[in-house]
Amino acid sequence: MKKFYLMFALLISLAVLAACSSGDDEANGASGSEGSSGADSITAWAWDPAFNIAALEKAKEAYDGDVEVKIIENAQDDIIQKLNTGLSSGTTKGMPNIVLIEDYRAQSFLQAYPDAFYPLTDVINSDDFADYKIATTSFDGEQYGLPFDSGVAGLYVRTDYLEEAGYTPEDLTNITWDEYIEIGKAVKEATGKNMLTLDPNDLGQIRMMIQTNGSWYVDEDGSTPNLEGNESLAKAFETYKKMMDADIGKIVSDWSQFVGAFNSGDVASVPTGNWITPSIKQAEDQSGKWAVVPMPRLDMEGAVNASNLGGSSWYVLNVDGKEEAADFMLQTFGSNVDLYQTLVKDIGALGTYSAAAEGDAYAVEDEFFGGQQLLADLSTWTDEIPGVNYGLHTYAIEDILVTGMQDYLNGTELTKVLENVQAQAEAQLK
Amino acid sequence: MNQPSSEKSKLDLPVSLRYKETKREKTGVFFKKKVGWLFVIVSVIAITIFNFYPMVQAFLLSFQSGMGGNLEYTGLDNWQRLFSDPTFIAALTNTSIYLLIQVPLMIVLALIFSVLLNDPKLKFRGFFRIAIFLPCVTSLVAYSVIFKYLFGVDGIINQFLLNFGFISETINFLADPFWAKVVIILAITWRWTGYNMIFYLAALQNVDKSIYEAAKIDGANAFQQFFQITIPMLKPIILFTSITSTIGTLQIFDEIVNITNGGPGNSTISISQYIYNLSFEYTPDFGYASTVSYVIVILVVILSILQFRVAGEKK
Repeated sequence: MKKFYLMFALLISLAVLAACSSGDDEANGASGSEGSSGADSITAWAWDPAFNIAALEKAKEAYDGDVEVKIIENAQDDIIQKLNTGLSSGTTKGMPNIVLIEDYRAQSFLQAYPDAFYPLTDVINSDDFADYKIATTSFDGEQYGLPFDSGVAGLYVRTDYLEEAGYTPEDLTNITWDEYIEIGKAVKEATGKNMLTLDPNDLGQIRMMIQTNGSWYVDEDGSTPNLEGNESLAKAFETYKKMMDADIGKIVSDWSQFVGAFNSGDVASVPTGNWITPSIKQAEDQSGKWAVVPMPRLDMEGAVNASNLGGSSWYVLNVDGKEEAADFMLQTFGSNVDLYQTLVKDIGALGTYSAAAEGDAYAVEDEFFGGQQLLADLSTWTDEIPGVNYGLHTYAIEDILVTGMQDYLNGTELTKVLENVQAQAEAQLK
Repeated sequence: MNQPSSEKSKLDLPVSLRYKETKREKTGVFFKKKVGWLFVIVSVIAITIFNFYPMVQAFLLSFQSGMGGNLEYTGLDNWQRLFSDPTFIAALTNTSIYLLIQVPLMIVLALIFSVLLNDPKLKFRGFFRIAIFLPCVTSLVAYSVIFKYLFGVDGIINQFLLNFGFISETINFLADPFWAKVVIILAITWRWTGYNMIFYLAALQNVDKSIYEAAKIDGANAFQQFFQITIPMLKPIILFTSITSTIGTLQIFDEIVNITNGGPGNSTISISQYIYNLSFEYTPDFGYASTVSYVIVILVVILSILQFRVAGEKK
């Protein structure tokens, strides 16, 4: 009987061990074939099936190399986590060959994992892309990213509300934020609608404002916080408070409330990145009632009516298959004008490849926006966006600024607020 | 190793048998032990590799700092940085507020519910028990999102309060530092009260009914019975649930991220969310993130010892 028990115990433990080890093998096998199998196949990670993944699929169709391209969809947060854990553990197993990284985060990846990315300096010609994308996708003299979608921002306006208040879209073209607020007050008086949505937890509004004047949260070096004494930022804070005081903003706290606000016709304008176009168009009954004008600028010397919000670029990881991946990138997003035509036509994805803007697809008149040549306008504005180095700490500083903004709105003096946030940022970002 | 314990087992035997051990029996004990070790060895090795080793590594990591993979030892810098880091202090304060308000509230509610639902004369007991336990089955993210929409500006809570005239204009619960915390506390309490109630209900089954009968004969009313009998009898379970709830609340993450994402400002951020932000939201500094993680470890240890001291057996 006891012998039986012993045998039984041994069998169980063997089975457990065997299960463990076979599990390991499988895992290794799978990750091996994903990342480092070399020339046969390459893997690409991106988020958003309607936009980035769709763009990759189109690129795959346009590509005529021998290498098989596997496209894997992950949420952006998951990609960030996987890259961080994978790269910091020093193993390249399971890593993709191509990955999409948001521009605001690009520098932190490039600097935190210096050898993990494959330079594309000799592969693509960085002059072919919109200027403002280059600073954020390159590091230490090397071009790492292949600039992809444009985050060029525009002011989406409801022409019918404006008309009710006695304005035309021309009146909002190339204006300052102060003029915008005055119009907002008039619109609210005439229509009862708020001029825009404001999310106190997301300072995208502030980011767009300061970039019109070529300023950012950090200095040129990309890491020294530039908050105290940053006149553009101070001006943007003042403007933000004026909007709050003028009571022309509908407060929202997340994406769905944001989209809901303009889809249900609660706001007269949406100042944001051009990637909002598909969401604006969701409300089909509002067709013909929208127009897009250039972003208002800060009322300062040197500020321009062009800005950016979001946007991302492709990166090739320094793992087996990097040459193939770089070649895939060059053949598709790096040089293929026809691909960019398909991208704007089929998925509305606006790239930053300058030559592509010459194509016919960009000249299409959009009925939803009253026959405006929206893509052509957006590409023109893309070229005017002041280039800034987003640097390392966009989101860390923004979290600090959000608390600063609360203090400011609650009555703390602005210089004091900026002094505080500067001190906090310096303490936190060592 | 084997000697003292076999000595002890000998002592357990009646005196008459103590020196009549056969050889067979001795090898039997020895043999059984070996088999026992075989059973546990797999999990011991696994726990060492997957639990203790990472814990030690994380502790070493907490003395390092740097971007992403470029970590280097910086001595006690991370620990000093904690005390001058306003975000960490905000996270610690918020977490302490959740802990101090939510855990006692939930424990008391769970106790009351369990006593009410333990009443044999109550009709539809099963239904009520299930109704209160059901929240525990829901996914953390799903219920958080529902709470977020309930308390939104256009949410049903605002509609309700408006329609019944309790308020004259909508409250933006999630954009107000005070109300946002209230919503978080309400959410966790809703989710976990039933879970703790089940422990009390189970424990109440083991309380001898005759004690209550005796108390009734002695003229004790329901309150006296509750405070003098139920609570003392449930003391070990109360201790257990308050420790697990404390640990759970210290690690709170899902609800915060999904309901308020730490906002407005940093007024609802929790320690765990800050750890996440340090690792994945900002430029990664895994060293400092693991220092903050160890603060949770230290807090759990201190609070557990405290709770044992206050409520535990004085042995």
